[in-house]
Amino acid sequence: MDAPAHYFHWGFILISTANLIVIALMILVFAAAILVPYPSGKGKQR
Amino acid sequence: MMATKRAYYAGVRFAPYDLVKEFVFALAAVTVLVIVLAALLSSPDVPSLTIKTVATQTPQNYVQLELDSLDGNGDVAGYGPPYNHQSGSVQYIGPVSVQNLFGVHIPVNPARDYVLGPLEQTRRSDPALAAALQTFRTAPATTQSKWEAAYNSALLKAKQQGSKLTIPSCSCGPVTLMMSRLLALGQSGAMDGLLLTSRHFYQTDYTRPLLFMNYTDAMANKATKYNLLGSTWGVMNETGNYPGQAWLWLYTLLYQIPPYTTAWAANTDALAILTVTILSLLLLLLPWIPGLNRLPRIIPVYRLIWRHHYRTGGNG
Repeated sequence: MDAPAHYFHWGFILISTANLIVIALMILVFAAAILVPYPSGKGKQR
Repeated sequence: MMATKRAYYAGVRFAPYDLVKEFVFALAAVTVLVIVLAALLSSPDVPSLTIKTVATQTPQNYVQLELDSLDGNGDVAGYGPPYNHQSGSVQYIGPVSVQNLFGVHIPVNPARDYVLGPLEQTRRSDPALAAALQTFRTAPATTQSKWEAAYNSALLKAKQQGSKLTIPSCSCGPVTLMMSRLLALGQSGAMDGLLLTSRHFYQTDYTRPLLFMNYTDAMANKATKYNLLGSTWGVMNETGNYPGQAWLWLYTLLYQIPPYTTAWAANTDALAILTVTILSLLLLLLPWIPGLNRLPRIIPVYRLIWRHHYRTGGNG
């Protein structure tokens, strides 16, 4: 982990793989928060 | 009151819940996770950059910065508020400069703070230096400038071999000895301590060493190497293969695009802060901003969240 980071470079965008993974995970969590049903079951959604 | 409460909860089924147990379990799980991840992933371990490193690895650059501090040609000397009354780094939002409004509240005098002050502190154990300082201080300003200019020319022709710097002989008066002593102070690590001037028990004011370091070649090279420059989304990045401050993407984005990089380049910091402040206020006040507060009707994400309610005939 102490090695120099790998970067993606598209035009003016320069982002490290680690940051990209974190952003992708945040989007996944956001999508899951919206789409995954409440654990209490279909009939008990608040 | 109790009767009202009992009536309110009548018929509601209660279940025992151990909040303390949950807290202890959560604490234990997070502790184990932190220890395991720290052991597995370690942390970025880039050696810190000090004035000693700069003076040892790039003595010519170090001495040049010291000379610039003495003759007033350095970037710090022309910076402006909060360090001095110059205007080299003053930024404006239209006609207003927040820097100028707050004024000079961390006074930095490069000649005093980076050259004469540190030398004064070591003169007692060094008679030759004491004499050189006396000669310099009592000389007319024009003579001082002549010595400094002569040393500047000589420094450009200096030879650097590792940490050793050989300056051609010049008519530089006491400046040669003063710079030689400053290089020795830098290479021994003493300068790192001499620039800390806090009178408190704990040292928290690193303004002077950081300002000095900011203009060294070593700092610029390291920042370039690790993509830490403003022009390379620097504040989002870490030195190692770690995620950085991804949440600063919007703020950093402004440093990559016109007009912040073109017409507004001289005032980028001030205008980037202003832009992010305006956007943050818009977000904060969204429910009260006409038009914007109707966005949920155009982008009905809430219908996805409460889809069960709307599937079973709810309105909204």
